[in-house]
Amino acid sequence: MAPERRSAGAAPGERPVLELRAVDVAYHGDIRILQGVSMAVRPGHITGVIGPNGAGKSTALRALYGLLKPVAGDVLIDGEAVTGMKPWRFIERGIALVPQGRSLFNELSVEDNLRLACWSFRKDQARVAAALERAYEQFPMLKERRKHAAGAMSGGQQRFLELGRALALQPRVILLDEPTAMIAPKLAAEIYEFIHGLPARGITVLLVDQNVRQCVRIADHVYVLELGRNKVDGSVGEFTQDADLRSLIAEWVDYRIDA
Amino acid sequence: MESLVLNGLINGLIVGGVYALIGLSLTLLYGVLRIVNFAHGEFVIGGSFLAYVLFNSLGIPPLLALPVAAVSFFAAGWLAYYLLIPRLARSDDPEIMSFLMMYGMSIALAAVMLLMFEADSRSIDYAFKPISMKVGPIYVSTARIVAFGVTVVISAALAWFLYRTLPGKALRATIMNREAIQIVGVDVEKLSAFAFALATGIAGVTGVLIALVFPAFNAFSGAEYSIIGFIVVVLGGLGNPIGALIAGIIYGLAEQLATVFLPQALAQIVGFGILVGTILIRPTGILGWRAQR
Ligand SMILES: Nc1ncnc2c1ncn2[C@@H]1O[C@H](COP(=O)(O)OP(=O)(O)O)[C@@H](O)[C@H]1O
Ligand SMILES: [Mg+2]
Repeated sequence: MAPERRSAGAAPGERPVLELRAVDVAYHGDIRILQGVSMAVRPGHITGVIGPNGAGKSTALRALYGLLKPVAGDVLIDGEAVTGMKPWRFIERGIALVPQGRSLFNELSVEDNLRLACWSFRKDQARVAAALERAYEQFPMLKERRKHAAGAMSGGQQRFLELGRALALQPRVILLDEPTAMIAPKLAAEIYEFIHGLPARGITVLLVDQNVRQCVRIADHVYVLELGRNKVDGSVGEFTQDADLRSLIAEWVDYRIDA
Repeated sequence: MESLVLNGLINGLIVGGVYALIGLSLTLLYGVLRIVNFAHGEFVIGGSFLAYVLFNSLGIPPLLALPVAAVSFFAAGWLAYYLLIPRLARSDDPEIMSFLMMYGMSIALAAVMLLMFEADSRSIDYAFKPISMKVGPIYVSTARIVAFGVTVVISAALAWFLYRTLPGKALRATIMNREAIQIVGVDVEKLSAFAFALATGIAGVTGVLIALVFPAFNAFSGAEYSIIGFIVVVLGGLGNPIGALIAGIIYGLAEQLATVFLPQALAQIVGFGILVGTILIRPTGILGWRAQR
């Protein structure tokens, strides 16, 4: 087994934009799903979170975004503790989430899905129009389908709408939970390239993924969760070189980093 | 026979309009807040008593009681939301707690109305002129026709609000995906308070209409309207506003036509037949729309 390497935290001199500090989460009463999980999202980078199914990756993300209240530990934005802050306040702080599974309003049109994301400034017509245009420019297929019901589109198109909706608000951080789950491989590759390009556009990324190869390929720093705890964290360089880590990962995924 | 059927149809529409409004408000509450409001019938009858008091002590006619009921019930609903609902979220099992709380509220409200108005059935002695109108070969009371007109206007306004305006779409979006509405930056607590107030306001208005449509009401009438409301909500599809409106009309027609075609004992179980039939054959309701969780 790989040893705990070092405490999770920011690299020296870089304050994380977003941080989980020793967070415990329990779903029903006393069953601790997360125990002392820490992770830090470094500005201008892609931070990856990997781990076997059920490790608590999504739970960690939901705790980070205020969708679950930790029973212990803290959530920090720019170093300020915001534990217990409601999920709808994150957007105003420039942090967007694309959760695992579907997060669209199926019966509503593509355009209405986008408009609802502009709720906090809905009276500002010009700003709303600019946000819509940003989403359409990013993914032109959304504009063609703006009158279609969101739920009637293909899985890939729905994913683009989710990404476009998050980016329309010009977040500085975007949290992505398994963005290519159930997406055809060709489209998935496109989505990874898209994510890879986000830091260059000034958008910090936290990428939770089961696809270890892709996650390690595009991330600068990777956390490994297992059984609701931090297993390891390290730079990607360490990852690809460390035999212990490679065998650890090979334990729970049928995958070798150098493959 | 023909005029009996026509009578059944017309009264079915009128009564169905009332049921449609009860169902709409109940389905909004369930959809947005995931609350099964056992006290909804009492909210409704509260509106009937408000119209009764306004007329008997202040001489305010039922049509003017409508806006009074709308505003006062809306405000009361808003207040009740902040007093009651956020507490539920803090309990270990909010769903069971909300069941118990709304059930308790139903009993408490009925008791309060009993205390204030006693057990006698009440009706409002207000008469429209002319007292009835001829619709084809039959006479229908003017009060019922006016009530139906009001029902149509209110239903249309609510449908427009829910399907054409952004706040209305936000309410429906909350029904479709309660987590997603939060992550796009909508304060779901404010929206829920508004939904609760809106549903309570509609209930109050429906109560005034009941005083016009039905011969009488008493402190215990609420339970019956709650049950009808649940049947309409299930028939229309949980959390489906348009479904509830259509289902209310269907229920009203079925109920009224049953009294024409079926022996009385059987006519009374038609509602439950509809409920059980829907759950067995079409659990997602007439429009077949499956609410996303
Ligand atoms: N709503 C829930 N209620 C109870 N347990 C849950 C809930 N959601 C997830 N879990 C449990 O929490 C653990 C972590 O789940 P999750 O965070 O979804 O893992 P991952 O995203 O890493 O696959 C799993 O054991 C899962 O069964
Ligand atoms: Mg997950």
